[in-house]
Amino acid sequence: MTETSSTPMRREESAGLMEYSVENLVPFGPIHPALKEPEYFKLVLEGEKIVQVIPRIGYVHRGLEKAAEMRPWVQNMYMFERTCGICSFVHSLCYGQAVEELTIYQVPKRAKYIRVIIAELERIHSHLLWVGLMGHWAGFETLFMWVWRDREIILDLVEEISGNRVHKSMNAICGVRRDMPDNMENRIVEKMKFIADRARYYRQIIDTEQTMLERTEKIGKISADTAEKLCAVGPMARYVGLRHDVRLNDPYAAYDEIPFDIVTRKEGDVHALLRLRLDELIVAANIVSYAVQHLPAGPVRVKIPPIIPAGEHASHCEAPRGEIYYFVRSTGGRTPDRVKSRQPTMANLPTALEILKGQTIADVPMVLTAIDPCFGCMDRMAFLDTETNRHWTWSGEELRQYGINYYRKRKK
Amino acid sequence: MSEIFFQQLETIATGAGTKLVQLRKQEFMIDVDQKNLKKLISQLVNERNVRHLSTITGLDLGQNIGIIYHFSFERENIHVKTLVPKSNPAAISIVEIIPGAILYEMEVHDMLGVTFSGNPWMDRKLLLPDSWPLDLPPPLLKTSKPSEIRKRLQLEAESK
Repeated sequence: MTETSSTPMRREESAGLMEYSVENLVPFGPIHPALKEPEYFKLVLEGEKIVQVIPRIGYVHRGLEKAAEMRPWVQNMYMFERTCGICSFVHSLCYGQAVEELTIYQVPKRAKYIRVIIAELERIHSHLLWVGLMGHWAGFETLFMWVWRDREIILDLVEEISGNRVHKSMNAICGVRRDMPDNMENRIVEKMKFIADRARYYRQIIDTEQTMLERTEKIGKISADTAEKLCAVGPMARYVGLRHDVRLNDPYAAYDEIPFDIVTRKEGDVHALLRLRLDELIVAANIVSYAVQHLPAGPVRVKIPPIIPAGEHASHCEAPRGEIYYFVRSTGGRTPDRVKSRQPTMANLPTALEILKGQTIADVPMVLTAIDPCFGCMDRMAFLDTETNRHWTWSGEELRQYGINYYRKRKK
Repeated sequence: MSEIFFQQLETIATGAGTKLVQLRKQEFMIDVDQKNLKKLISQLVNERNVRHLSTITGLDLGQNIGIIYHFSFERENIHVKTLVPKSNPAAISIVEIIPGAILYEMEVHDMLGVTFSGNPWMDRKLLLPDSWPLDLPPPLLKTSKPSEIRKRLQLEAESK
């Protein structure tokens, strides 16, 4: 594997080295066999500090926008749901809302509430997954195990409601495909209470546990002004104090009828992100409980004809990682003329690159995981030291161990 | 709030020699030509504090390529639309005003072949493979067919 992958990688390296001949260049990614998607970063080092980061994404670009132009409106909904394996529902929700605005039909109220329930359950599962990964990269395996066990509760609930664990396929244009099962109300409220309690407990852990504090405090700092200029979205905007949340700013589905407040932090470091996401878990659990208890009666779906009237509409939703944006243009046919989809990681990438500047290699896994990326290319990091002409490769596991040892040594 | 904001937007739009169109409640569209685009956007950002650019959409509209800048500010959504001719797809970059636009402009460049003058990363590829043949039309144009692209990329890979 090393031999086959090293040839093209070397060519890329030499292209980058011409620009930065005096400093050290570290190619980061793109091959990762286990986690999420592959992405590639060229890290330019000065000693151990990162001075510049050059992104190269698109390794898993499947041309969904082009494919959407050849498929019927309804099929596209389930295709866009496959954009992501973690926040799948919100993609179909956002696309569906953009299309619904072009039609004359109204989404039934019950469907709107069911959409909120699924979207918030998805947020809880995504945030829990992230908190677990943070524990893993910091060398705190117990947290990882605990959090991922709690995540199973959510996945089981989602499976019971929609029939699927990951790709819920709940949405339809103008409604949802399945009604909520009977007699689930009490069970969901009970489970949400449990999740909120666990979130409070984890919050207490990360505030007192020395391992987490050392790895997260004062790391990944950025100012509110820079984050705003770089158009950061979601938790990446809220952890520096920007009140940026589509659920509150531009309410969709039933969010305008549900009382809730968003969480913001001021500190702007990785620890603030941990606190923020754990607080958001509690908020999301409360929203689910409220929505389940106030679920209105009525139909869940309106049948619509396959032809969507001509027009343009944009829609945005708050995915677990931030604002997600869909733009739809119809010329009055059975297929869309253009569908544009923008994911939160794309919006947060400039901010992430800015945060990485000035960090050490030991902090790269923490900082890159902290932005909750849809890329997890921690494996196969190749290092090239131009001064000593030494070239070595680390797997993600070795990199993680390096980070843990680095902090262990510093402590002594 | 909304009334005053509407009037302020209208003033900016008239200043750039165009009109403000209200699509829906809280949703506005401004059609502007390339000459006035930078002035309009810098006024939006600096004077009206509309600082969040959600994304940039590129559209194939037959003769022209449409570029839409999607802004959001509190409850209002503002779309700024501009056209560039397909024969000479050159646009002006807004990275100076909004640094976060850099990747969105690269994406439009990759997918529709629009060159943004002033974007420092315009010579890099973001989404397309490095082996993308230069003579192939950009993939999101209506004239380029996925089957042809696939065939061509396969040929390139085999010849290596």
